[in-house]
Formats: sequence, C-alpha cells, structure tokens
Amino acid sequence: MTISRRSFLKGAMAGSAASLIGPGLLASSALAAEGAEVGLGVWKTSGSHWGALNALVKGGKVAEIKPFGADRHPTEMLNGIKGLIYNPSRIRYPMARLEWLKHRQDADRTTRGDNRFVRLTWDAALDLFHEELERTQTDYGPWALYAGATGWRQTGQVHSCGNHMQRAVAMHGHFVKKVGDYSTGAGQVILPYVLGSTEVYSQGTSWPLILENSKTVVLWGNDPYKNLQVGWNCETHESYAYLEQLKAKVADGSIRVISVDPVRTKTQNYLGCEQLYLNPMTDVAFMLAMAYTLYNEELYSQEFIDAYALGFDDFIAYVQGEGDDGEAKTPEWAAPICGVDAEQIRDFARLLAADRTQLLFGWAIQRQQHGEQPYWMGAVLATMLGQIGLPGGGISYGHHYSSIGVPSSGASAPGAFPRNVDAGKTPEHDNTDFQGAASTIPVARWIDCLLNPGETIQYNGSEVVFPDIRMCVFSGCNPWHHHQDHNRMKQAFRKLETVVTIDYAWNATCRFSDLVLPACTQFERNDLDVYGSYSNRGVLAMHKLVDPLFHSRSDFDIFTDLCRRFGRDEEYRQELDEMGWVKKLYDECREANTALSAAPGGDEPTSSMPDFATFWKDGYVDFGPGENWVRHADFRQAPEVNALGTPSGFIEISSRKIGRYEYDDCQAHPRWMEKAERSHGGPGSDRYPLWLQSVHPDKRLHSQMCESEALRATYAVQGREPIFIGPEDAEARGIQDGDLVRVYNDRGQLLAGAVVSDDFPSGVVRIQEGAWYGPVGPEIGALDTYGDPNTLTLDVGTSKLAQAPSANTCVVEIERFEGEAPAVTAFGGPITVDV
Amino acid sequence: MKILAALWNTLKRPPVHISLGVIIIVSFLGGIIFWGGFNTAMEVTNTEKFCVSCHEMENNVYQELQQTVHWSNRSGVRAICSDCHVPHNWTDKIARKMQASKEVWGAIFGTIDTPEKFEAKRLELAQHEWSRFKANGSQECRNCHDYDSMDWNAMSDEARRFMEPAAERSQSCVDCHKGIAHQLPQQMGSVDPLLAGLVREATSVRLDEGETYYSAKSVDLYTDAERTEQAGVLQVATEVKVLETRDDSVKLAIAAWRKEKGFGRVLYEDFGQNISSAVLDKDIAQDGAMIETHQSDVVDELTGLPWGQVSVTLWAEKGAYLGKREALWETAGQTYRDACSVCHTEPAPEHFDANTWPAMFSGMVGFTNMSAPTQELVLKYLQMHSSDFVDAAH
Repeated sequence: MTISRRSFLKGAMAGSAASLIGPGLLASSALAAEGAEVGLGVWKTSGSHWGALNALVKGGKVAEIKPFGADRHPTEMLNGIKGLIYNPSRIRYPMARLEWLKHRQDADRTTRGDNRFVRLTWDAALDLFHEELERTQTDYGPWALYAGATGWRQTGQVHSCGNHMQRAVAMHGHFVKKVGDYSTGAGQVILPYVLGSTEVYSQGTSWPLILENSKTVVLWGNDPYKNLQVGWNCETHESYAYLEQLKAKVADGSIRVISVDPVRTKTQNYLGCEQLYLNPMTDVAFMLAMAYTLYNEELYSQEFIDAYALGFDDFIAYVQGEGDDGEAKTPEWAAPICGVDAEQIRDFARLLAADRTQLLFGWAIQRQQHGEQPYWMGAVLATMLGQIGLPGGGISYGHHYSSIGVPSSGASAPGAFPRNVDAGKTPEHDNTDFQGAASTIPVARWIDCLLNPGETIQYNGSEVVFPDIRMCVFSGCNPWHHHQDHNRMKQAFRKLETVVTIDYAWNATCRFSDLVLPACTQFERNDLDVYGSYSNRGVLAMHKLVDPLFHSRSDFDIFTDLCRRFGRDEEYRQELDEMGWVKKLYDECREANTALSAAPGGDEPTSSMPDFATFWKDGYVDFGPGENWVRHADFRQAPEVNALGTPSGFIEISSRKIGRYEYDDCQAHPRWMEKAERSHGGPGSDRYPLWLQSVHPDKRLHSQMCESEALRATYAVQGREPIFIGPEDAEARGIQDGDLVRVYNDRGQLLAGAVVSDDFPSGVVRIQEGAWYGPVGPEIGALDTYGDPNTLTLDVGTSKLAQAPSANTCVVEIERFEGEAPAVTAFGGPITVDV
Repeated sequence: MKILAALWNTLKRPPVHISLGVIIIVSFLGGIIFWGGFNTAMEVTNTEKFCVSCHEMENNVYQELQQTVHWSNRSGVRAICSDCHVPHNWTDKIARKMQASKEVWGAIFGTIDTPEKFEAKRLELAQHEWSRFKANGSQECRNCHDYDSMDWNAMSDEARRFMEPAAERSQSCVDCHKGIAHQLPQQMGSVDPLLAGLVREATSVRLDEGETYYSAKSVDLYTDAERTEQAGVLQVATEVKVLETRDDSVKLAIAAWRKEKGFGRVLYEDFGQNISSAVLDKDIAQDGAMIETHQSDVVDELTGLPWGQVSVTLWAEKGAYLGKREALWETAGQTYRDACSVCHTEPAPEHFDANTWPAMFSGMVGFTNMSAPTQELVLKYLQMHSSDFVDAAH
C-alpha cells in the first residue's frame, strides 16, 4: 500500500477526532468501512462473542482492536483478541497422537492424554479421518459414532463450525446425537412442564419496562454485569445502558435491588444493591418457607391462581405439612438449612408481595443436583405473587444472557451454512440401525454412556439405552472443559478407539484426542453475523483480517476436502465458495426483510438493506431499535387463546405428567431434597467443608480465551487459575492472598492461586469454569497444574427428569501448597514427536 | 312479416339461373374469404399490440411481463400475451375468445381502470387464469417446456428435487410457478415462499360437497354465507368437511375437542391434545345453538381438565383448502429443519409428544425468521408427527 500525504492527513485527523469524541461516535464513518486508510494500516470490521469490533491490520498482522461504534460498553476481553490470534497454544499443523498413529484401534489407550503427537500433512490427516469414519460405519454402525456434541462456535454464520462438521459427517453416515446443553440443562427440561416454554433462551420483558414499573428487582443467583459481557452473536452490550439506569435508580431509592446469593457478586458491587445471603444449594427450602409465609399471611393472589394455574392444592398441602413428609415448611423449618433468620425470610416474602416485583433468575441454581426444583419453585412463587405477564413483574430466567431484555428489532436475521444433508440426499452409509440403542442421548450423560454401554437410564419420561460408542468427532467443542469429573472422563476415554478434534487452539480436548486438525480463527476468514444478539440490531460484515496462521484452514475448506474423499465435495459446498456463501446469506436476508416490510404492518427500516457490495464496504447494516415487550402478557390477556405450552395450557404448580413418571428425585410438585454433598453442615461437609462454585468466568467465554496470554496475566496467580476464598477460611488454613494452593476432594486435585476476597463468606470458594485442564500426566488422579474446577466437580444427573449437569454440587478442601510446584502443562500445544 | 315470408320463399326455391357448380364455387370462395377474414381478425386479437391496446393491460400486466425472463433472455425467445393466455387448439381458442369478451365489457365500463381497482380485482382475475391452467395441465407452458425434454443433470440440485417428482406426476406447471410473468396478488405476498406456493395451489382446488379438505392457511370463519358476521378463525392444516358452496363462500363442518374450562374458545384436533384447529369468538363458543356437543366432561387424567367433543358449522372463503395434508407437512418439515439447524441439531419431531412441542417450540422460535403463519403450520406439523403419532420414539 502506498501512503499519500493526503491519506496520511486524513488518517491523522480521524485519529485525533476519535480521541476527542471517543471511538463510539466515529466508528461508522471513519472506522467501520473496509479499507479505510488510517496511517500505515487498514481498518476492517469483524466480530466475536466478546463484541463487534474494528481491527487495524498492518503489514499482514492485526495491530489494534477497537470496539465497534455501536458498542458503548465494550468488554475488557476485547484486549484478549490479539492474544487469541497470536498464541503459543494455536494448533499449527494437523497432528496425530503417536501411539494411536502406530496402532490405531489396537493402541494402548492408557496413553491417551500423554500429549505426544506427530505432525501430518493435510492430505494424510484427512485420509485418516475418512478411513476412521469408514471403519466405524463399516465394522460397527451409526451407534458407534458420536458427533453430536457442539459448543460455542466462533461467530460467523458461514463458517459455523458445528454446522460444517455435522453436515460433512452426516453426508458420510448417521451418528449418535445429543439433546440438552451444559448451561441450562435442568431449566430447559423442567420449565416446559411448568410455564410451557424452555424460558431460558426466550426473549424477556424489555428493560425499559422493568426500569419503569418494578419497585423491587430480585437477582437470584444471578450476575448479569459479569455474564452480559459475552453473547451468542457479535455482542454490542446494549444491556449495560439499562444496568446503568438501574444503578441510578438504586442510588435514588426508586427501585430496590436484592441479590439473593451466598457471594457478593460483581453486579451487586456495581449496582451498590442489597444482598440476601443464604447457604449454597438451599434455595428451595428458602422458597418453600416464602410460599408458606405468602399463603398463611394471605399475601398471595388466589384470583391469579384460579384463572391461570393448576395444581396449587397438592403443592400447598405439602407446604402446610399435610404431605407425605408431614413437615410444615415454616420459616423456622427453613432457617437452619438456609442460614437465614426466620423473620428475614418472612420479611423478604412480604417485600415481594408489597409491590411490583421482577424476579430475575440466573442459571447457577439449576446447575446443581435437583436443579429442576429451584426453577420450578421460582415459577410457583411468581404465580403466587400473581404478576406474571405484567410489565416489570413475574419471572425471567434469562436477563443475564446475550442481551435478553433488549427489545428485538424484529428484522430477519441471516441464515447459516446448512447443518443438515440436503433434502432428498442420503449419506454414503445409509444405515439407521442403532441396534436397539438410543440415537440421541442426554448430553451430560455421555460419559456414563461411554462407561456403561447397553445400560438403560430414565430420561424425561422415556428410557434411553446407551449405545456402544467407539469414535467421537468434536469441532469447536471442548468437553474437557465443560464436562464434570475429569478423572472419570479419563477412564471413559479409554473405551474410545478414535477421537478426532477440529479446533484452533490446543485445549485439553486436543490432548485427549487421537487426530487433531487446525481450523483458523474467525479473524482469518470472511463471514457475516448478527450484531447485538437478542436485540438483533443489525448485520455485521466479518472481514478476513489476516490469512490463516500456520497450516490452519477454514472449517469450510477442511470439510469440503473431507467430502472430496467420498466424492461429494460439490454437493457439500453447494457449488459455492466462501464469498459466494457470504453473499448468498446476505442476499437471502435482504430478500426476507424486503418481504417483511412489504407485508401488512411492515417496517420501513429493514426494507432498505443496501446491496451486498455496499454492505461489505460499509461493514454493517443497522436494523434500528425494537419495541418494548412484556413476557407472557398475551397469556395474561387471553389465557385460553394464548395458552402456555404446558400439558394443560396453564401454569402447572403441580404436574400430573411428571408425577406419572414416578421419579424419586423429581416428583409431582417442587420439593426440598438434600444433596449428595453440601457445605454448611450438609452431607460430606465434615471432610470437605468448602462449597466450590464454578461460575461462568469474568474474563473468558467458558474456556475460550483462557489461552490469551496478556489477558490471562491480568487474573492468574503465580501462573495458575485463581481460587476465590473468604478471609475467615483463608486464615483458618494459613493461606495468604497470592499463595499457591492445592484444592482437592475424593475425585481429584488441582493447583490454583489464592485470591482472598471479602466478597466470599465462610464455606464458599469459587474457581471460574473454563480454566484449561493441564494434568501432569495421563494417569488417573494426576494433579491438574492450572486449575480446572471440573477436575473436582460431581458427575451425576440433576435428576431422572433432565439428567443435566450438577457442577455446582461440589465440596472440597484447600491447603497451602508446599514444595516445588510442577510447571503448568495446560498451554503451548502438544509434545511434538518426530517419526 | 311479408318480407320475411318472401325471403323464405326465395331461399326455399331451387336456383333457376345459376348452376350448382357456380354456387359451390362461389360458396367455397366466399367461405374462404369469410374464414380467412375471421381468422385474420382473430389473429389480430392475438397480437401483443391488440392485447395491450386497452390501458388496463398496458399499464399493469404488460409492464410486469417486461421485467421477466419470458420477455427478455439470452436466447432471444419471447412469449407474448397470447402464447400463454390463448389456447392453441381451435375449439378452446374460440371458447376463450368468447370469455374474453367480458374483458371488453370491463374496458368499456371501467371496472379496473385505476391501479387500485386493478389490484383489488387482481386476485379474482388471476384465479380465473389459474383454474384454466389447472384444468388443462398448464398446456400453454408445455407448448414450449416439455417434461420429456428436461435434462435433470443440467439442473441445480434444488430445482431437480422439485422438478423430477413434478414430471412423474405430470403436474400442472402453474401449480408452483404462479407469479412467473406477472406480480402476485397482494393478498398472497408472503415471507415464506414455500408456504405461499401451497396457498396459491389451494386457490385452484375444486371443492366438492361432502368431501374432506385441509386448510392451507388460517381462514376467517363466519356465521353467514355473505361472510359479514365473523365467528372465529380456522387454523392452518385443519381437517374440514365441505357441506355447501355458494358463490365465493363455502360452508364447513369442523369436528373437534375442547377444554371445558374458561369459554371453550379453542377447538383442538383430538381429546387431550393441544393441537389447535380453530379459535372461536367468545359468544360463538358459548352459543349452544352454534356448537353441537357430542360428549361432555371427559377428564384428561394428565391435567385433570374436563374436555368435550363438539362440532361446529361455519362459513368461510373458498380457495383456501387442499385435498391432502402431505404437501403442507412436507413444507413444514423442510422449514423446520432449515430454520432450526442454523444454530443446533433440530430434535426429531418424535422426540417429544404433542403437548410438549408447544413449549419447546415457543422457547426457541424467536431465533428463527419464520413468519407467524409459518410458525403455526410448523408447530402443527411437529405435534402431528410427535411421539403420540409414531411408534418409534427416540
């Protein structure tokens, strides 16, 4: 590129204006356009789960990242993007595990996890991939192949990695799929029975209406200020403007915000709001005592229950002590379980009934054993309060996620590269005989499945027979982060003959794989996506910033080449190339929005999407803001016509349908049940007195970006993942802030760095999930050198209903680590072996 | 009368001065001249110039045609008005010409002389043409486009997927290709082209009394044949029996179940199953004279709610029903798979039961671009292909 004096001046002026006004206002004109020359580089548009962004590319390298103009509340994690691209943990070449390469299915599988790998050419690697798919389909059948697990793909609708992997593998043969996920597993199964929708991923009442109408806002195990930093699409963090307003209303006393949480959360500290402490995992006992108070003090709405709900009588009999356990759920009964005074429970119930109350539940309390119960109980409380369907009332299970609560633009969003085999086509191996085993398994039970093929489990009213899985394929999916109890996983992985992983960074799943293929990052290919997540605020161009690093390739190229091995590459990519797909998705989106705006009541702004070339040059199309909306208002207005999706169409306080399943761990109405292990005097707390919570991280998206070194340096302690501990517990164990500690229970052990914080009460510690697993070796029980909490967590289903993960049911002990600490093995890729 | 009688006598009397040969020759020549003139005149009415000589044609449909591939293409072949709208065989042509005289009436009396009037009338006009195409298997299209000459390998996969089965059934082209040369009537504009295709097909389906049909879209229901008193809405893909047709209206019988809680406004496909068939207005739902109840107070053990079996007879528009539900299900299934797999593997329809699907669907549908009518259809498809309707769950 040549620099003229004029372009240099233009760049300098844009730079100085930006520093005066800030990046926000100028982004659309000076920063967003592709190829806008500034000084010695080119600004391009791209986006990520951490935010839409503008990147300065200089000399073929990403030199600088700035938030996209529309993002007024960018996350600090944008600082991690450069470190994600240029990273020692990047997968550089296709690699095969040495022992596996030599012996394949006859390999000594106790070596899996030894991290000793051999470099391959792409041709050799894809031949191996294809051979193993062939072998699995031919020697076994579709029951032996698990390619169902997917994760938080990088943003971009064309290169969505799960779509590519599953389409290509499905064109070759059928495979075992999954149902559910690790974030909301219990919630998404119980709430359809109760409120008639999965709720957890549903758009919620608009923030402006909450700010306008609510008098009390309850954050129940909910930390939106932390969790809204990331979004499913290219975030623009619109929710933060509303949190700012909420903070102001807390300050002027017009809204009371109460955080029901054992820990003082980031949100609480930001808002300056109140906290109601209760012992971990005792929410249901607490809520039952609230129901007792509401009922006996006649603070509940019988009218609402009569018109909108069923099954109150059975439930309230249980609360009153007329159930099978004969125990009244009085505040006095709950107080010792919850660690809260009985009078405080009463006051809290009275407060919620006094005026308009918006309940905002986080996902943490359903990621524990019996996680169905607190969510069900939350819906029951909201029903008793009778404010469901009113602006600023009722219950939400999603306002901490992906800008839920920001009004949706209503525009049509771009589609994606197809995940499925084209209609009318069949796979190379069109064998759908799963030999009596399930073709779909509850996702969090797949390690059980590997360990116990042929076993039958109960799941959501049906029986699931575990298939005998021999081969797994993962793409942009890191089960060695998200699944519980890594030592149990090690055992299970020894059953597998072949594990293929496609990713851009050498995470722990690569370590436990046999064949690893390097995909490029989203910044090394062209794509497009929505910006604004749930607000669906516009379409963002994701310009390729730099060429794929090392030998990495786009998912599109990788799987086109895999399909070429069975002669179906043209069908795979539908005869289009990368830019052809970007343009196709844009044009289809434009057409859909034109049709929308032509329809009666159509919207003007969406009808004016520019042609593709203009969009690509501008970097984005803005759909404009959406309109305020109230969740369940239609149901409240006409319950018959806008019936809920429950069996009866009404809110089901008791569910006869669930009752019929006759599950001991999820019965016909919400109940308090003791956990397998629990701190604060609960089971197992004599040996392991500390509750370990593994919340969503503050400076990562799950395990993504843990490898980004400069960002990690801002939070790691002695190079290890921090463990947060209260001053009382730290002192009792002689632990100082900054100490290296060993955290352990019967399931495993890890090293972490202590952060002593007043935010944590006695008996509660936190390691954020997504810390990369780095065991000292492949053997079971090996010390984890970096500090992945899933080294310690419990791997049981929430109940027979949802069979979801119970990560937050976990107790541990901590000690100061003495002696020489082993080096961190989590980062930096494999041990490369020459053959 | 005298003159007529004289003429009759003259005509009756055998010729005296002219030979039979002359008569034959003159008659023959006269016939040729007349026939030629008639045909020439008729051919004139077949030219583009004649067709667009009235401004209704010129300003509307003619302009639209010029935007399409039938007007301008790389091969330089052009279809003019008569190629598509006038039958090529003589008898049909004459019949069509006689019908067309109505258009002359229209031109003279200004039935469609403004764009607004034309738009208002467009659906009706289009429906006439579509029924003609339906009846003759789109013969005018097939004068040029022949199924037997189609090279499947030269087609895109997607085109082939639709065209090959159509060829096997020798399906009428315009079943799918409505709007290929002119704009579609506004009432038929749709965000979902697949569904719009079926709605269009329904406009040319003949309704026989006593037969069973399925709604291709949601349809307003009325108590009277004139369709002035609205009684509710019939949902998409609902089974109805045609009792009577009158002008543009049809009298439908709907058999259903409903919950005996509230006003009983929602009619459902079957006992205990929340698959909705129709939504009635409150006073209709409560009107014992309108609703015939066959069974009452049948308790659904799963919810404890009492249900009743009912039937209701109401009027609705014609042209909104298909003979079978399969095509609707096919469209819905494809839409479901395409829309949901954007983000995740879509669960098999039989993964949930009919009463669980509304919950699963409503929790996720906000992520898709499905229009409200499409959502209604897709949900019904999922419910009617759920574990309640197939043997092999999982």
